[in-house]
Amino acid sequence: MIAVIIILLVVVIFLPILIATVDLGGLLIEGLGPILESLEPLIPGEWFPLYFTRVYLQRPLIASLVVSMVAGFMGTFLLMRNLALIGDGLAHVSFGAIAVALAVGWAPLEFALIICVISALIIEFLSEKGYLTGDSAIAIFLTGMLGLGLVVSYVSGDSAIRQIDGYLWGNLNLIDAESFNNIIWVSLISYITLAILYRSLLAICIDPIASQVQGIPVFLITIIWSTLIAVVVVSMVQIVGALLVTALIVTPAAMAQLTSRSFFMCVVLSQIFGIITVLLGLYYSAELGTGSGSMIALVSAVLFVVIALTKGVVKMFTATNQNTN
Amino acid sequence: MTTNLSLVCGEEILQVSGLSVNRSGVEVISDINLSVNCGEFVGIVGPNGAGKTTLILTILGILKPRKGHVSLSKAISGKVGWVPQAATSLPKNMKITVREFIQLGTLDSATWFLPFGTKYDKQNVSKIIETVGLTDYAETRIANLSGGQRQRAAIGKALASKADLLLMDEPMVGVDLKSRNSIMKLLDDLCHTQNKTIVMISHDLASMKRTVHRMVYLEQHIRYDGSTNDFPELSVLADLRGIEETHPEGLLSEVDQTAPEDIITVWQKDELRSRKS
Repeated sequence: MIAVIIILLVVVIFLPILIATVDLGGLLIEGLGPILESLEPLIPGEWFPLYFTRVYLQRPLIASLVVSMVAGFMGTFLLMRNLALIGDGLAHVSFGAIAVALAVGWAPLEFALIICVISALIIEFLSEKGYLTGDSAIAIFLTGMLGLGLVVSYVSGDSAIRQIDGYLWGNLNLIDAESFNNIIWVSLISYITLAILYRSLLAICIDPIASQVQGIPVFLITIIWSTLIAVVVVSMVQIVGALLVTALIVTPAAMAQLTSRSFFMCVVLSQIFGIITVLLGLYYSAELGTGSGSMIALVSAVLFVVIALTKGVVKMFTATNQNTN
Repeated sequence: MTTNLSLVCGEEILQVSGLSVNRSGVEVISDINLSVNCGEFVGIVGPNGAGKTTLILTILGILKPRKGHVSLSKAISGKVGWVPQAATSLPKNMKITVREFIQLGTLDSATWFLPFGTKYDKQNVSKIIETVGLTDYAETRIANLSGGQRQRAAIGKALASKADLLLMDEPMVGVDLKSRNSIMKLLDDLCHTQNKTIVMISHDLASMKRTVHRMVYLEQHIRYDGSTNDFPELSVLADLRGIEETHPEGLLSEVDQTAPEDIITVWQKDELRSRKS
């Protein structure tokens, strides 16, 4: 237990140094670049293959795929705790924070990250103590921060409004080499942490009291979990934008819930659905010339409807078969 | 029988002495003395709000006592299993199989950070699934189980923690008579063959009287503690409740004395009668 806390502290202290010194993003591009280029002939479409050949488009492609995997993994737990809206709420909080940072001239994402972690912890504890139900706590943060962001950007003038648009709807051009490296690092660490906490998180979702009795450090894990959600949401804001974060956190997980039998299967399928959503979303946005974030959100909703309908039809058929038997 | 069993196992496993617990400023239980021996099957009965759940939660260490203390025998420290109420314990939208669910019980302070668990735990889980009689449903979703099967799964989860002492909070809520009997039989087996100690809260006097070794009647204080055979009849129980004036208003206590129905529901009383005749 103490060892775990020490490891956490070390990670938190050395992480910025590690991210700054090891260019994981650069290495990933070097490694995956040739593979993506060799896939190019197989890729349909007129504009979409550019994502596989141009370095400045390879980055957003890889980043959105990696983030969609982490988001899908995370989403399965959020759905199980009935906290599906928390991603959305935190995204709006980060939007407000970004607006303030842009107006004042601070680094937008770093500031948003700090504010988001604090909000996630506050939401978690307010709802755990029963002062607020999870949903209303999130809704209050959500609208409040969205309003703050918009007000601040109107007050501070035109240039801020133009910049903030990218964070509201997602803009893949925001991903340069440095932020790509950040996203890859954050995703890698979040993914490993989720894998480590996989079973204890599930146990806490199902029965917090029993988990405490079993000796699982519930408090510690809750704090790590809240921080993790905030970190992942902020790294997603660049890709799909604050308004559409739900598309990658909740929808793939909901599709997986419809189609899988066990929880493990749900986790795996949720990530696969996330990847499919991102690929289709980027394809259509490239071919039709629309915004990437909005297209990803639209595709994820359409995919969900298709899967839900298919399941309904299959269920109907199996039901009639059973009746005739 | 009862005395024999506790003599065989001997050791005192749980001791509660002079325990008083407050919940939101109100003293829910006061001055409780209770000692449970290894291998015993203790049933706790009492009306709603009598402090049964409070007692169990204090034993588990979730609630802090105002006075007195709870001591668990060294042999089992940290190995207490907790079976919550069936109706409230399992989220409805859970897509999780029985095997995954029971496997969660194996987590403890030393293994919670292992993503896949140890090989020993996996074998142990298969064995437990067999013990609770869910072998055919191991890969079925919890949400698709019946109430009785779900309760078996919850018991399995508690067993998976290798607990020697099982604390159960109304495990029979929402479970029909047939499943109730089979679960009671399962618990009885656990007591006799695997030497588990069970403390169970229930409103179901009838099936308790058949299996439980020892009954405790709790209503803020312990009003009765002794063998099941000597457990007082309903009318005596109503008198027992009137010994101390728990409600300051005379009207309330009068109503309480004449209506023991909240201890045992009417149909359970009928069941009790039909069993006797």
